[in-house]
Amino acid sequence: MENYTKYALKPAEELVRLLEGRDNLFVLSCNKCYREFEAVTAPERDEFLKLAEDQGKTVTGTAAMDFLCNKTLTAKALADLIPAGTEYVAVIACGLGIQTVADLVELPVIALADSRSYGGHHGMALTQKKCGACAQCYLNITGGICPIVDCSKSLVNGQCGGAKNGKCEVDPNKDCAWEKIQQRLAQQGRLEELKNQPVQLRDWSKVNFKTINDYVKAIRAERFEGYYGGVHPTERVGVTEHLSLIRFPEPATAVIPLSMHAGAPANPVVQVGDQVQVGQVIGEAAGFISAPVHSSISGKVVAIEERPHASRGKCLSVVIENDGKNTVHESVKPGKPLEELTPAEIVEVVKKAGIVGMGGAGFPTYVKLMPNKPIEAVLLNGCECEPLLTADHRVLLEYTDEIIHGLKAIMKAVDAPKGVIVIEDNKLDAIARFEARLAGEANIEVVAARTKYPQGAEKMLIKRVLGRMVPSGKLPADVGAVVCNISTAKAISDAITTGMPLIERVVTVTGDYIASPKNFIAKIGTNVADLVAACGGITNADATVKAGGPMMGFIQTTLETPIMKGSNGIIAIKTDHAEPVACIQCGRCVDVCPMELKPLYFAKYAGLGQPQLLKERNIMDCMECRCCEYICSSKIPLVTLIRIGKNAVRGMK
Amino acid sequence: MLLTKFKGKEALIPQLKGKVFLVTCHGCKEVNLSGAEHEAELLFNEALASQHINGLLTADYICNPEYLQARFERFADQVREADTILVFSCGVGVQTIADAFPNKRVIAANDTYPLPGFQGVTPLEHDCKQCGQCYLNLTGGICPITACSKSLINGQCGGAKNGKCEVDPNMECGWERIQKKLAQIGRLDALKCPVQLRDYSVDAKSE
Amino acid sequence: MRITELFDNGEFVVTAEVGPPKGIHVDHLVEEAKEHLSGITAVNVTDNQSSVMRMGSLPTCVLLKNAGLTPILQLTCRDRNRIALQSELLGAAALGIDNILCLTGDHTRMGDHPGAKPVFDLDSVSLLHTVCQLEKGVDLAGNPLVGEAPKFAKGAVVSPCSDSVDAQLAKMERKVMAGAEYFQTQAVFDSEKFIQFMEQAKQFGKPVQLGVIIPKSAGMAKFMNKNVAGVHVPQWMIDELAADKEKAKAGITGVELAAKVIKECRPYCQGLHIMALGWEAKVPELLKLAGI
Repeated sequence: MENYTKYALKPAEELVRLLEGRDNLFVLSCNKCYREFEAVTAPERDEFLKLAEDQGKTVTGTAAMDFLCNKTLTAKALADLIPAGTEYVAVIACGLGIQTVADLVELPVIALADSRSYGGHHGMALTQKKCGACAQCYLNITGGICPIVDCSKSLVNGQCGGAKNGKCEVDPNKDCAWEKIQQRLAQQGRLEELKNQPVQLRDWSKVNFKTINDYVKAIRAERFEGYYGGVHPTERVGVTEHLSLIRFPEPATAVIPLSMHAGAPANPVVQVGDQVQVGQVIGEAAGFISAPVHSSISGKVVAIEERPHASRGKCLSVVIENDGKNTVHESVKPGKPLEELTPAEIVEVVKKAGIVGMGGAGFPTYVKLMPNKPIEAVLLNGCECEPLLTADHRVLLEYTDEIIHGLKAIMKAVDAPKGVIVIEDNKLDAIARFEARLAGEANIEVVAARTKYPQGAEKMLIKRVLGRMVPSGKLPADVGAVVCNISTAKAISDAITTGMPLIERVVTVTGDYIASPKNFIAKIGTNVADLVAACGGITNADATVKAGGPMMGFIQTTLETPIMKGSNGIIAIKTDHAEPVACIQCGRCVDVCPMELKPLYFAKYAGLGQPQLLKERNIMDCMECRCCEYICSSKIPLVTLIRIGKNAVRGMK
Repeated sequence: MLLTKFKGKEALIPQLKGKVFLVTCHGCKEVNLSGAEHEAELLFNEALASQHINGLLTADYICNPEYLQARFERFADQVREADTILVFSCGVGVQTIADAFPNKRVIAANDTYPLPGFQGVTPLEHDCKQCGQCYLNLTGGICPITACSKSLINGQCGGAKNGKCEVDPNMECGWERIQKKLAQIGRLDALKCPVQLRDYSVDAKSE
Repeated sequence: MRITELFDNGEFVVTAEVGPPKGIHVDHLVEEAKEHLSGITAVNVTDNQSSVMRMGSLPTCVLLKNAGLTPILQLTCRDRNRIALQSELLGAAALGIDNILCLTGDHTRMGDHPGAKPVFDLDSVSLLHTVCQLEKGVDLAGNPLVGEAPKFAKGAVVSPCSDSVDAQLAKMERKVMAGAEYFQTQAVFDSEKFIQFMEQAKQFGKPVQLGVIIPKSAGMAKFMNKNVAGVHVPQWMIDELAADKEKAKAGITGVELAAKVIKECRPYCQGLHIMALGWEAKVPELLKLAGI
């Protein structure tokens, strides 16, 4: 593996000269990038500190940082870091790091290192291949061998007379590029082509400052839209976003897991042989953070046993055989209208209906409705930022009024003066629909958010809409916000108007390898295999099946799992067979982490038996959005490692 | 993938001989949000009618030869049959594929441009040309190599007008910025340094 | 006089090479050339040869021309961009220098200013193309020249004994296509290799001048074998040079060996290019011995 460390400490004589007449230095060094991630050491800094000591200089402090060129994170790290009495900030980094620091600090900056030249840009894998970024790719006439980078003179019209034994005159260890080109083209029978090329002239005006600068600014604007980090996976929602919801037939057998929510699994309150009806409680909440579970069909309980579960492997489930009568339980009846309900009554309705966050996390909603803190705004999350999924999009379009009704109920429950429905700008029809419907509502607004993943994450949404950062370890209520998924709001509305608990949901079945993708309304407990079969099945044996979206979904090894309260999608997508390789500190995970964490360290430290290090780096703030894993140039299963790390941290006490 | 631009259909069609296998890279998608994937798809759909294209592989980080092998395995037949492999990626990706298939006609669909500030993490307003002799100490942390169109290292030329560069009126004169910055931090004495000479022998390309 | 006219007349064209001094005193160079090289067709003037800084090629050419010799202006792409190269060519034409040799040039790292910026904006092929443009009355950007267009005899170089002969032949063809009218070769010591090369090169229909260096010693031969691209002195020559050191030192062996190469190769080439490397005085003797 090549080592593309970007800088080298300046020669000692130069450093001595630089320090003449200067004192009280704060030494800042960059932890380097683009080399195999072994251990964090700072040999250049140590070398310099010794030199400074020999010169009798006072060092007011030192700091080693990752990716000094990351302006957002460096600015935060530098705040209040440099002690009073410091006169100069001495930086050991490449030119980018030094310039970034020079921009951020008031004090004069001393560059202690020279950037190393690699004669071109390397790729994300640390191989010897480099690109000169000449803006007029010559590879088509040279058999894929670059004459700009591989030829010392960057000749574009053929070999000079300087090759000896096939080696370059400038460096006898370097192959003559044009000799390689000649051989490659001869092998491919393409020498004629080379010969018949017109005379090649480099166009130096192509690398135009303005074009590139404008482009980079545009990219940065998009990258930082709303909040730091995040990614833009191909949305691929076109297949199903216009497909109306189809009611999936009642399952012959419903398998209803007793754990479809965060917190303690529900306790079963029925027995094998019992007759149950639609909406009847079959599992009771087992604590504060828990939720009851209801039967989605009427019929006979035939088993209460461990069954496959989409995210937990196996889970105690109630298996009900449908009697086809669809008898509704007596407890299901409309209550008082919203206007007459007190906040406490709303919370009770939500609690009894077993409503949990339907975006996937499954946090019991009633808990959110008792914030015990003043709430400024309720944010309804209609972002659906996962690629491929369109379940929420359809709910937005087909249950607009129910969602607004549900929002009002939440606002009343938490006594919020304002409601905001946030929808990503790839769902313009839904935005228009809500804007029209809310024309007369002074205290509810629609916010169109630029499409970016993970827009739908609670904390990102708050940052995007309210401009507030939820501090590490705190909840949205701490910054005056309550966030709910739009499907959750719809479920709340249903519970109030019809009394029906949460027994069905909307689910998208899609992906490259689903024959005929669809959006369904399915009963909780419906077999995933049946849904997939109704979509024509999986078309390729090489498919990866996930419950949820491509980013946060859980990989499924079987289709014999039930639809649950949080099941927004079943997807079958292409499998990427690339295997993980060593981390090269490319910094991409740091660049995309919306929580501003440094995932590469989690991968490094997980399994090292040092949970303290993980905790110090705030691993518990990770929401497992998978941006880091998506972008990882080394294909490291970061989220899996982070989960291992989190368990280790939990086990520390 | 670095910053790339599509060469254009007209430039590419004559290069495509026989059956064509398409490869698109979206490895650096987040930094260049490029349309390479889209362009490849358009070309794919268009050319499919004329039966020239026999496969499309979309992958990330094709500059990593280890991944490449695993991914091409499942396309072995198509690649064997193909006469041309058309690659939508930066120059590094094209070279990696050309190396992996030395007997195939490997064609680059894009031109690659330098992306300022993409030496470390992400594009930045700063650029570093890896000159190997950092001048930032003399210039208050503003790089004369990249912030000046002529990469002058001994002060401003006569080409600045209203503080803008003669090469691009939208670009601030690097040396004017340096002057201001040095004045601001009280280091105008830095400009009294000895005459500076670039040392081009540190260019690694010719090492 | 353009030397292409002589090739056209079927003459065997003999040229030699001189290097301008690192200084401003050129009297010695002009005197030497007048004394030893007057008998030959033309004299190449090198352009900061081996990337070692010296007086410019163009003024030296003018001084030689004033002394009655026919100079050939060597022009490399290492030190000048396309603007400077074109302006140099116009200046040469105005001063009556109408023989040129277009080269890429050694890399800056090879010479005495290794920290210099290597330009290579153009290369030998695109330089030849540029000259053709000027001859058509337009510059490289297509802007018209004012008045009469210059006309040059456009030479280029090739390395027949290179270990990558195929690449050299390919480049030679590119040079022909770009406008090269004659070729001077890198020094040849192995007649057989040259003859084989010419079998291939003759298809381009351009005159080729055999490049010759008078070997000064076994040590020099070994040094060239090790360090100089495209040069290979066969072992038997090295042995001969080593056999009688005095004879070699006096230049007798070297001249004999060079003459032998010339005689063997003469039927296959259209001229001779001598790189005397300070032994200009031996040129007349060499020509005599070679029967030219």
